[in-house]
Amino acid sequence: MSAVLNPSVGDELPRLVIEAVDAEKMKTMAALLGDSNPIHWDVDTVRELGMGDQPVNQGPNNLGYVMNMLGDWAGGAERIQNIRVRFLDNVFAGDRLEAGGTVTAIGDDGTVECDVWLARDGTHPVLAGTAFLLLA
Amino acid sequence: MTSATQIPTIEELESLVGRQFPGGTYAVEPWRVWLTNDVIGAPQRTDGIAHPMFCYYAAMAGFGISIDEMFTLCYASADDGPMFGECDIQQMRPLEIGATYTVRGEITSAVRKQGERTGTFDIVAFQLEVVAPDGEVSSVVSNSFIFPRRS
Repeated sequence: MSAVLNPSVGDELPRLVIEAVDAEKMKTMAALLGDSNPIHWDVDTVRELGMGDQPVNQGPNNLGYVMNMLGDWAGGAERIQNIRVRFLDNVFAGDRLEAGGTVTAIGDDGTVECDVWLARDGTHPVLAGTAFLLLA
Repeated sequence: MTSATQIPTIEELESLVGRQFPGGTYAVEPWRVWLTNDVIGAPQRTDGIAHPMFCYYAAMAGFGISIDEMFTLCYASADDGPMFGECDIQQMRPLEIGATYTVRGEITSAVRKQGERTGTFDIVAFQLEVVAPDGEVSSVVSNSFIFPRRS
């Protein structure tokens, strides 16, 4: 992990790339969460619902990727004080994702505000929001 | 509990505000942390600190009702196509692996809106506090669900 000590407004956060979302890990998360929704593990159900032919990733996983991106940049995810996001679209098994962000403000107390996002193929937004981190 | 898929009146909808959840507890178990880190690609830490997503997991697993029961409370069911709205996670203090947290919370707002394309829908927001064994609030998680109201 590498901590950024002197960020500036406008800095782009180093992107985190997930080359291919793994369907097997969705099954693990479904078991961990006790999530009975079959769209996360049953391709037949996904097809019947007209949602495509790949399992749908759990929304919290997508938020987790963004937190990982922030943690890599800030020197630890425990530096995230607040993150507020909206889920804009589904992520499917096999999708290539990029998580990124931009520093938008720096408070007198050292709190850094960032716009954050997660995008399929780096272009199609699936999650967007704002995060506040304390780097000091 | 209310009956599922019945479209509530404005008064019924607004009466949800302030409704407290039963609450409960959530243990941040080491095996669960390891597997979760593996799923989301987070590092396996050795300092006893859980990934901040555990603020969310603890809140949602410990607030005392299931998501289906939450939908029913809001006059809806999974068949109505409810959607996740916003998610806001405050991490005051990282959750500790091995600790058991108390979760409490309530519905904080319930509003009806009209969209040009989407028609009538309700947004119900709720806030959950994740409380450490010493009584300090470690995390506050605010979520909202969007309920389409098709007549």
